[in-house]
Amino acid sequence: MDEKSKILIVDDENGLRLGTERLLKEEGYHVESASNGEEGIRLGKSIEFDIAIIDLKMPDVDGLTVLKEIKSVHPNTVCFIATAFASYDTAIESTRLGAFGYIPKPFTPEELIYQIEQGVNQRKLILESERLKKEREENLLELANEKSRLNAIIKSINDGILVINKNAELVYYNYAALKFLDLTEIEIGSKILNILPEKVVKTINKLFNSGTFHVKSYSHQIELKPNNELIVEFSTTPIPNSDGSIAGVVLIISNITEYKKIELLKSQFVSMVAHELKAPLAAVQGYLNILIDKSIQLPPEKQEEYIKRSITRLKGLTDLVNDLLDISRIELNTKQREIERIDIREIIENSIQFFELDIKKKNISIETHFDENLPAIDADYNEISRVVTNLLSNAIKYNRTNGKIFIDLYKSHNYLVLKIGDTGIGLKPEEKTKLFNEFYRAKNEMTRDISGTGLGLSIVKKIVDSYHGKIEVESEFGKGTTFIINLPINIK
Amino acid sequence: MDVKKILLVDDDIDLLEQNKVLLESKGYKVVTAESGAEGWEAFQKENPDAAIIDLIMEEMDSGFILCHRIKKSNPNVPVFIVTSAPYTTGFKFSASTNEEKEWLKCDGILNKPIVIEELAAKLKNM
Repeated sequence: MDEKSKILIVDDENGLRLGTERLLKEEGYHVESASNGEEGIRLGKSIEFDIAIIDLKMPDVDGLTVLKEIKSVHPNTVCFIATAFASYDTAIESTRLGAFGYIPKPFTPEELIYQIEQGVNQRKLILESERLKKEREENLLELANEKSRLNAIIKSINDGILVINKNAELVYYNYAALKFLDLTEIEIGSKILNILPEKVVKTINKLFNSGTFHVKSYSHQIELKPNNELIVEFSTTPIPNSDGSIAGVVLIISNITEYKKIELLKSQFVSMVAHELKAPLAAVQGYLNILIDKSIQLPPEKQEEYIKRSITRLKGLTDLVNDLLDISRIELNTKQREIERIDIREIIENSIQFFELDIKKKNISIETHFDENLPAIDADYNEISRVVTNLLSNAIKYNRTNGKIFIDLYKSHNYLVLKIGDTGIGLKPEEKTKLFNEFYRAKNEMTRDISGTGLGLSIVKKIVDSYHGKIEVESEFGKGTTFIINLPINIK
Repeated sequence: MDVKKILLVDDDIDLLEQNKVLLESKGYKVVTAESGAEGWEAFQKENPDAAIIDLIMEEMDSGFILCHRIKKSNPNVPVFIVTSAPYTTGFKFSASTNEEKEWLKCDGILNKPIVIEELAAKLKNM
């Protein structure tokens, strides 16, 4: 800026104006000049000069007006008033209007240059302070944006957040916290311990009373709505002061209802599994105890019957363990499935072959209807095999001697539909609803001798569900049952 | 009361068979049934001297119901309820005081598997 400062000279005295212009140009400044007030205003407004030297007394417009006009557009232009009629009043007035200095006429070149240098420095300071001001404003704006962004994030978190200071006053909260506490509003600064669960308040008080800060969170699981409708976890974490004392606590409230439900289902499942494992073991143990008991005389055919029953129950136990392994595999490892293009017809044909002996034993006839041009589907071969095998095995097991099995395969919209029907014992309406439950087995006089784990259909449903498919059952008690499975052709 | 004929009700056909053989080996005559409904039918037809009933059977068939029916029809017939519920659920049943017996109607709760000697001793003391 030094060499290239732009200077405007406004003076009606030609000699003085031209002399000044020449002098300043020699000093390396860019100089423009105006010979009257009007022109001075026009030039001074049109571009921002670093410095303006304005004569006070001009015939058309006086210097103070020129000064005022220029300053109104470019307040940072450093202006000097030059005059031969220096007076205390004009000095005050020109300073009031924003003039930086006062140059009395006549002036020596040294005097003028000295003044201009002062002006240039002033201009530098003004521009620097302007720059800083702008920068600060920008930073503040960014900070404000950041703050509101952070606020927006905290507000949109599903977990409730409450910050409480050492006086048990609310310092901060988000809307989720209000929702959990079933409140419509809450005042910052209000004492809120009385609206929090007792256990949480105890922990908070303990923390406050202990006085010193430790990095540790305390959590409480609390049923906020009865019948497990809403269970939340309150996690209480102390906030430290710089001196190591506790400034307050932050409470995070998370909804854990779903986790709790899953936990309950899991423990119910485990106790059901334990029961299902115990029953066959107890039966086998009972038979063995009788067989070894010398005081009990058994005819040989009874002995053989008991051994056969034990073998049957043990086989059931093995099937059960295998089914349980399958279930855990489906639940844990769906990611490891190998998706390929598979042809369900091939799976059905293999499955029929696998059960050939059982089919012959009951003299069951199988009718298959496969639509032509059936598409292949994207699925894991083993999983779809399991679906077909389980359904076919049921259709054989629960069929009557000389019965029939119908297998239909066709395309409907984006689904492949597989229907497996039998002419077996059928289902009572109340049995239909429980059919896919784990360990459910239709038990009546007709199913007594049919073995099973009660997991086959629940495995089928789990697999079908995992492909976003659909399974339905149609049945009439005493007439037969048909399972209808819809599998999406394209799973992507 | 001399117990000679016992009605056994259990939906697990293996346990039913085993308890039948064990009781027969102690000299009892045994009638079996696989559900509450069958048990009630057998009770009316066979007139047993005592009944041993599984607590939880399929179709939500509770041994308590059959026990109540039998006691209502003949309060003098000893009825024992058999259960493994204390192990699987943690719930404890007892019919040791008269008040409990009156409420439960049965003469005792037996844990599964039944210890036949214990049962025989109980029946003898009835």
